[in-house]
Amino acid sequence: MTTKTISKKAFKEFVNAIIAAEKVIGVQAKGERFDFAELTSADDLRLDYDVTLQAPKKYFLPPCETLMTFEVGGGYQSHIADEPFVLLGVHPYDVVAIAQMDELFSQNNADVHYLKRRANATIVAVDVVTASKNVFASSMKTATTRTGFDILLTDIGNAYVMEIATEKGRKLAAQATATVASADDLAKRESIWKANEKGLNKHPLEVNPEYLGKLLDKAYDHPVWEEKAATCFSCGSCNLVCPTCYCFNVQDDVNWDLKTGQRGRAWDGCLLDGFAKVAGGHDFRKKRADRFRHRLYRKAKYVPAKIDGQIACVGCGRCVGACLPDIANPVSVYNRLVDDLGIG
Amino acid sequence: MSKPRVAIFDFACCEGCQLQIVNLEEEIIDLVGAVDVVEWREASTDHSDEYDIAIIEGSITRPEDEQRVKQIRSRAKVLVALGACATTGGVNKLKNNFDLDDVKRAVYGKDAGKPHLGTAMTKAVDEVVKVDFHVHGCPIDRGEFTYVVRSLLMGKTPEIPEWPVCVECKSKGNICVWELGQVCLGPVTRAGCGARCPTTRFRCFGCRGYIDNPNVDAAREVIERYGLDINALKEKMILFASKQEPTIYG
Repeated sequence: MTTKTISKKAFKEFVNAIIAAEKVIGVQAKGERFDFAELTSADDLRLDYDVTLQAPKKYFLPPCETLMTFEVGGGYQSHIADEPFVLLGVHPYDVVAIAQMDELFSQNNADVHYLKRRANATIVAVDVVTASKNVFASSMKTATTRTGFDILLTDIGNAYVMEIATEKGRKLAAQATATVASADDLAKRESIWKANEKGLNKHPLEVNPEYLGKLLDKAYDHPVWEEKAATCFSCGSCNLVCPTCYCFNVQDDVNWDLKTGQRGRAWDGCLLDGFAKVAGGHDFRKKRADRFRHRLYRKAKYVPAKIDGQIACVGCGRCVGACLPDIANPVSVYNRLVDDLGIG
Repeated sequence: MSKPRVAIFDFACCEGCQLQIVNLEEEIIDLVGAVDVVEWREASTDHSDEYDIAIIEGSITRPEDEQRVKQIRSRAKVLVALGACATTGGVNKLKNNFDLDDVKRAVYGKDAGKPHLGTAMTKAVDEVVKVDFHVHGCPIDRGEFTYVVRSLLMGKTPEIPEWPVCVECKSKGNICVWELGQVCLGPVTRAGCGARCPTTRFRCFGCRGYIDNPNVDAAREVIERYGLDINALKEKMILFASKQEPTIYG
């Protein structure tokens, strides 16, 4: 691991050099907001963004993709992405979410489609400069991260501190004109980390996130699920904008010869009506409240059981902003449960 | 196996959904190669009373049309409702908000009383006969239509989205048009269009009809949250969702 400092001018040159060499996805303005998109010039890069509309998961698990083409009675051909790319400007909470997904998609039947895209990617993370209006990463301990990236950038005013963490990162950074970071630069970075670890907290969670699983053990029949879900559209927006939601639906379509076809998958969401519908029309989470509860159990109990207790909510706040009736905020539900049930 | 015989019929509508089929361009060759089109007034002079699949475009607005669609149903093994007018009644249901005599006078003036200008309350096709599959939208989505046809040819049940348009907006990374200050019907409207209108930063009109379980309470809540009057929502719902259940006209 090496830590360097690169001036903003040299950084721009560095970004343009990478763009000339390979595909770069970077954070850019999109109307009134920000999102990841293919970058064609360093001038469009906005590392001062607050939060992106979509989570970076879409570059590993696209909203819809073809998994394979097949011939009925014949063989099949898997579709595996093979283009390397640089993902530039990932906030620490999203880095944590990607690291969780890496574990989940590697378990049991390893998902080659996801893992190949992941292997193709070089992740350049950036510490948060502007807090978004709903971020609560400080509460979830994801406001900063020391792992999960190839390079981490921290804006220290006239320059970036650039931590090069992996071999991929080292290869990329070889194109940058940077100097070894001074003690002063590192101190500046340290103070930014400290500030973010406290300050990215628009919705403070009243407990240490580690307690959430225990809290939920007592909360299955709590009235909050019905109360909140009364105005749930079942639109799945909270799932779809979430950096850690990864459920998908698989569907086949045939070509006009009715022999050859494609198997595709698309994002799904546990809040959607029919998500839990199975053969025969049986639906084991028919009520809005059942689905509403499931998401919050999933974030703090079911997924953590698969990945060593890590809470599958990273506090990005996207669901809070995306929910029109304003019921999706996990903190308001968890705090309500803390108030009613205590943590003892 | 012989190719299934398909007949396409139109009722009260602009025939724009049939036009979408004609607009399949090269793919129409595949379509007419896979099925035997025995009747299709908009594109062919052939006529037949024997068919397996009947595709109905348009809403049912006169008593004689009810008889006609019942006869088509009795002859078809599978009946598909094509486009908003057929699947929900579409814009034709606006009429149901008024007195029928007033409506006739507004449209036909002094001729309103003539016997061939009879009219009745507008109905979606499934308010008159059993519909096996719905292809929603104003107009239909060509890709969805051909997917439904191929599914029928395979003997598979096509998966028509039961989720709302928000799913497609979020998948595309659209800025929510509510954030842009518009009253969008996306949260209660069936997806499948690819969020075509909100993707151009314009509110969803609801042309694909409601999802199976629209949450009208949530819609009221959101209207309040955004400091709007409930009429702002009703005004938007009247165009494509007139007299659909559940209604908030009250």
